[in-house]
Amino acid sequence: MARLGWVSLSPALAPPGSVEGLELNTFPSLEALLEQPQGCDVVVLDGPPEAMGTAARRLRADHRYQLGLIYTSRAGDPWCAALCDGELPGDGAAIATAWQQWQERQPLFNRGQAPEGVDQSLLCWLWQRPGAAIQPVRDPGHAQIYRYPLVEAITADERLNSDGWLRQKEQENLLEGGDLIDRIRQCPACSSSRLNYVDVCPECHGLDIVRQPSLHCFVCGHVAPQQNFLKGDALVCPNCLSQLRHIGSDYDRPLENYRCRGCGAFFVDADVDVRCLDCCDVNQPNDLRVREIRSFRLSEAGALACRQGLGDNGAIGSYFRRLKLMDRGDFLKALDWQMAIARRYGRSSGSAIAALLGVRIENIEQLFVDVGEARATAMLEGLLERLQQIIRDTDRCMRGREDTLWLLLPHTSARGLDRVRERLQEGLERIQSSAGAAELSLKFVGCVLPEQIQDDENAALMLARLAGDLR
Amino acid sequence: MEPVLEQALNLPLLLEQLRGEDGLALLLLQLFPLFLVVELPLTLVVVLGVLRWWIREQTLPPRRSLYRPRVSCLITCYSEGADVRKTLETLCEQTYPGEIELIPVVDGAAANQHTLAAVRGFELREEWRRTRRVRPIAKWQRGGRVSSLNAGLSMSTGSIVMALDGDTSFDNTMVSAMVRHFEDPNVPAVAGSLRIRNTWTSLATALQAVEYLISIQMAKTGLSEWNLVNNISGAFGAFRREIIEQLGGWDTHSAEDLDITLRIKSYFGRHRQLRIPFEPRAIGHTDGPTSMVGLLKQRLRWDGDLLFLYARKHSGSIAPRLMGWPNFLMTVISGLFIQVVLPFIIVGYTAITAITLPWPTVLALSVLVYVVYLVVLSLQFLLMLLLVSERPQQDVKLLPILPLFPIAMLLIRCWSAVAILNELWRRSHEESSMAPWWVLRRATRF
Repeated sequence: MARLGWVSLSPALAPPGSVEGLELNTFPSLEALLEQPQGCDVVVLDGPPEAMGTAARRLRADHRYQLGLIYTSRAGDPWCAALCDGELPGDGAAIATAWQQWQERQPLFNRGQAPEGVDQSLLCWLWQRPGAAIQPVRDPGHAQIYRYPLVEAITADERLNSDGWLRQKEQENLLEGGDLIDRIRQCPACSSSRLNYVDVCPECHGLDIVRQPSLHCFVCGHVAPQQNFLKGDALVCPNCLSQLRHIGSDYDRPLENYRCRGCGAFFVDADVDVRCLDCCDVNQPNDLRVREIRSFRLSEAGALACRQGLGDNGAIGSYFRRLKLMDRGDFLKALDWQMAIARRYGRSSGSAIAALLGVRIENIEQLFVDVGEARATAMLEGLLERLQQIIRDTDRCMRGREDTLWLLLPHTSARGLDRVRERLQEGLERIQSSAGAAELSLKFVGCVLPEQIQDDENAALMLARLAGDLR
Repeated sequence: MEPVLEQALNLPLLLEQLRGEDGLALLLLQLFPLFLVVELPLTLVVVLGVLRWWIREQTLPPRRSLYRPRVSCLITCYSEGADVRKTLETLCEQTYPGEIELIPVVDGAAANQHTLAAVRGFELREEWRRTRRVRPIAKWQRGGRVSSLNAGLSMSTGSIVMALDGDTSFDNTMVSAMVRHFEDPNVPAVAGSLRIRNTWTSLATALQAVEYLISIQMAKTGLSEWNLVNNISGAFGAFRREIIEQLGGWDTHSAEDLDITLRIKSYFGRHRQLRIPFEPRAIGHTDGPTSMVGLLKQRLRWDGDLLFLYARKHSGSIAPRLMGWPNFLMTVISGLFIQVVLPFIIVGYTAITAITLPWPTVLALSVLVYVVYLVVLSLQFLLMLLLVSERPQQDVKLLPILPLFPIAMLLIRCWSAVAILNELWRRSHEESSMAPWWVLRRATRF
């Protein structure tokens, strides 16, 4: 039976007497819970929204509660949303079910090893909660305006730059950006978003500029600042000395210029300078760093890595590097390059320039349902090992969707492509004979450069065309 | 004056005398005393006043004052549409360095959406923001001009309140010229000068331009010197806030401008130091009716309302005890006699002349009368050009209109008789377009 810790953050709130199906422990404060040597499996925070947010931050910073389920008794503030698992899902039975699912997923992470270090803890947090994301929270008091409370809490000891960490994991293809929440400008010097946009003199960049309206005398056509026209209560043209009585019939306002009180410059449009309120650095608006604020989810590659083991000190990249796995952008560049070479030299050289092979596992979802996650994982692992044997040092791979793999094979003709296909099929049969009844079915699509390039096609278009054939 | 009137009204005797040998001489004899007794003294009062004003203007040192009270401009808007923006813009353009609060009151805003949109869409320029403020009021239900002014008054905060028309634009020295007078605590209100904006649209507007120059700009300048200003125009007047509040705001019925002038004047008998100046250097430009029919309709309303106010509503307050002798005489002569009685005398005279005398004589007499009027008018116009007008080069172009002016005035005078009869028999002030019938119905009847 799971231990449920009920923390009352306000003396006015009484905890429930019991929760069906769970061993209830009540605590009058967060300190009381943290002092308990024996941790609770599931924690419920009960109190005002802000107090729950603060408590959630402290809980996630504590090693014992970094990954566990934390619920709030009522709707909390944005910090609660970013750190907790939401409001109580219902009665004791619902909590028990959620706890059970959480427990079942835990041994699947990193081949059953407990997460070590900040990287693995964060990836494990996401792994334990399918579909969950690391959410940013707006905090106007913070120099960068948006913070990632979960990363900050879990990495509290290491003083990590949460934004930098997330970017790095995104580049490693472990995380992928979710919804775009905001786009902010940052000071290039200190990354602060507390910026002041001021209009300044374009000549001396002085701050002291004033709007100076000008008048146009209809009698003689004289145009000058309004100040020059004012004679006592009346407007008198300094050039022809006629009194200007009525706007529209005697005079009008042709322009509205600015004047710098510092250097006396006269100009139509002021420049805009951006002054950082934190480091006093002055920049042009175009020089500011633009940062997109997104939530982050576990990418498909990341989910695969979590399932198959993150390796030593998080060297998941090395595992993929052995497969020559590239991210989509790089792969497209490489393919574009091969296509360009094929177009230019393909006809004259007489030999094939390269070939592209798409492999799709048609029944991957069915497989997981039929034989269970562990067996299916083992089968996929076998397939990947086989693939590793087949591909040459010069070949490159890219994962399309979770069930699709793309191989770029330089110096490969149509015959070579068929050979690769046959060898993969052979390997598959060997895996299946050892696995018994279950069947892994593969579908292939191939394209040989330069023969099968279509006119005006680039790498992305070609991939899209071939992916259509794979469906 | 009495015997002349009696004689004029003793029709059978008069007709008999006129048919006699000395008929023409008698007519002339009776025409000229009337002119000499009534019109000439009035013209002299004006001319002497203008001369006095001019000499004072020329000899006074330039005025500098730190008196800069907040001015609230109540702008009554109805169906002017985009023209309201011009009014608001010229008020923002004022060179007055103090604060000006613009309160455009859109009457019947539910029906006059385009006027409301024009008012709402008006944006203050950057350089105006410090001293100019716009606070529009949308009066959804139509209530008439008086209700707009009183609504604006209740929302305004300035110590000087100006009542302005939505279709009138102003010279940029208007506010400073008007406000200057209020530095004297004995000034409860100041009248401003009006000019015709659409002078050259039609003959009717050109004639009105001459009329406004002579009978407003020049006549009131002269009368103001003797503290005899007859009316503070509804389209353009400034008031000290305390006096308006003392009077209880504007009163229902049409011709609320003459009404409030008479009500202020009824303090003159007890407070002899009070005076209502006219400022010829504060100019408002307004659109006059463009057709002769439109002009006559306007005068039907104005002249009818005149009789209503003098004879019905304020018959009790036209007394030397209340207004003081000079203003009493002025109101009786210029208000009651010239504007109410004279039209009938003119119509009667013309009719009698036409009936009794042979055609050549009628013609000769008409030419004589015309020439006399034209000469007097030309002298007045010259004086106006030389001494009063602030735009003499623009006004001199009206000279070709002058020969037509006496004829137009004769027509308008005759029409006044119709207007007065209309008010006498049909109580025309109760069908005024200045307020809806459901408001007028409930107003006190006089």
